[in-house]
Amino acid sequence: MICCVRAPHPSLIAAWLKAPALRGHPLVIGGLAHERASVTTASAEARAQGIVEGMSLNQAQQFSPDAIFQPVDEEATARVRQSLLSTLHHFTPDVAVGELPGCVFLRLDRLVLRWPDRSLLLAAISRAVEAVIRVTPTIGVASSMFVSKIAADHATAAVPVIVEPEKTRAYLARYPIDVLPLDDDLREYLELLGLKTIGRLQTISRPAFRRQFGPKALEVYDLALGDDRRRLRPWRPAVRIEESEPLDPPVDNTEALQFIARALAERVSASLLAQGLGTRAIRIRLDQEAAPPIGIEVRFAYPMTTAGELFDGLRPRLLRATIAAPLERITLRAGRLEAAYVRQPGLLIRRDGFKESIADAVARLQEEYGSSLVQRAEVHADAAPLVDHRILWKPA
Amino acid sequence: MTGIGGWPVGRLSLLAGPRGCGKRTLAQRSVAAASLTGPVAYVDFPRRLDPEFVNHFDARLDRLLVVRPKSLKEGMASVRVLARAGVDLICIDLPRTRSAGIDAELPHLLHRVAEADCTLLLIYDAEADDAIRYYASMILAFQRSAWVFRRDGDLEGLLVDATVVKNRLAPPGRNCRLLIPYPIP
Repeated sequence: MICCVRAPHPSLIAAWLKAPALRGHPLVIGGLAHERASVTTASAEARAQGIVEGMSLNQAQQFSPDAIFQPVDEEATARVRQSLLSTLHHFTPDVAVGELPGCVFLRLDRLVLRWPDRSLLLAAISRAVEAVIRVTPTIGVASSMFVSKIAADHATAAVPVIVEPEKTRAYLARYPIDVLPLDDDLREYLELLGLKTIGRLQTISRPAFRRQFGPKALEVYDLALGDDRRRLRPWRPAVRIEESEPLDPPVDNTEALQFIARALAERVSASLLAQGLGTRAIRIRLDQEAAPPIGIEVRFAYPMTTAGELFDGLRPRLLRATIAAPLERITLRAGRLEAAYVRQPGLLIRRDGFKESIADAVARLQEEYGSSLVQRAEVHADAAPLVDHRILWKPA
Repeated sequence: MTGIGGWPVGRLSLLAGPRGCGKRTLAQRSVAAASLTGPVAYVDFPRRLDPEFVNHFDARLDRLLVVRPKSLKEGMASVRVLARAGVDLICIDLPRTRSAGIDAELPHLLHRVAEADCTLLLIYDAEADDAIRYYASMILAFQRSAWVFRRDGDLEGLLVDATVVKNRLAPPGRNCRLLIPYPIP
């Protein structure tokens, strides 16, 4: 089962967290009233006066002269989004960000042992979210992302809506076709045929629907039956591992730099080890005194954790670096983090127990010999009579 | 014909013969067929690979990596890395003019290929050097046999004689006659 947690737009929550007195007042986020911009989101009080997303701020002010207008605080919005996701990530790692802001999906299947009573679980989720963003979310539970989102849209803060799999079709039947992701042509066509609710749509057979509207519209038909084939793509909390050291006095040769790089590699390694991570890329930034900084990226074939391995990769690149001015600071940042357990000693596995992926192998070759070394071909048979137009070569 | 039901896995197979006798046609068909089951690579030194021709055999072009190296060293490094990464079949199209130093590269290359269970095909114009002949587990020699004409006088295709002149996995000496139809396929 999939649980959809719907909260107001993160920008709105950020504004409420910053100034709790704004709750209960018409609030429009997107910019100040005189600015030439559009409404990003608005509070329920402002919506009641006719303000909708995408409307110009000028028009919004005419609809609601007493509304409070605020610009989007990007940093605070990002913090709200992160805290909402990380709160839900504590319940299950199967958390996915929805297409709409403030919409998050959770897969509940693996929580049955920990939370045998689903209502207690939903209450705990609601409490945890409320503790973080000071807003009680609406919750819908169903067999797919699409149905759970509709359930959450129609739930109240106090009572979540749970749609059992066998009742999905009957549950959707009552809603208008507007809840489906229809393009304008298809919506108009369905309305002309008098198909205004999902229930009426469900009475048509799949082959008949396909004959009438084409294979592309079958996705909409499947959604109308509650069959959502989209995969839940898990969100991973961002981890930033970066170590930096000022060089005082500034260093102007790469030999001396190696000692500091080794010490930083040990610190990065300790951070990786503490979190059970490995890195497949280290970005080195060398800040020069009177010249632009130098950026070097070192890629590894598989996730590295230990200081020795990291330094073995860094050292030759540092020695080759062309330094124009004395260096003031060196920064090492671990990128492309993965679980360190991917790498295993190959006692029972053929060869060295590790097989580099083809994409990584290609990336490594391209880094070493240039991007034109490994290519892929695309053939467009109906493009043009000239061969050069029909065959498109792209770096792999 | 090969006695083992296809190209040997983890070994080098050599397609030798003069120009225009079907070596590249057979290799590109093999690449197309292998792309249906897994990733394949074509190391194209002379830049003669025709993706349209490969595509005629319903090849998965998204699984075909075309390596266009500037030197033998680049090409051999690519083969080693790709074989290790899990590419199932690698075809090297090596003109004679670019083959200087291949005898030193082949031992390392074949070690990697054997380790990775990768099938390696080498297209080599003209008579192969002793080193390549030594390291190849199978050598297919191609020779033009005859032109084939239709009753109305139009050209139908080219008959090619293919002979297994060396085979470490089955008795050598088998031969067959292949028809390369025109236009291809």
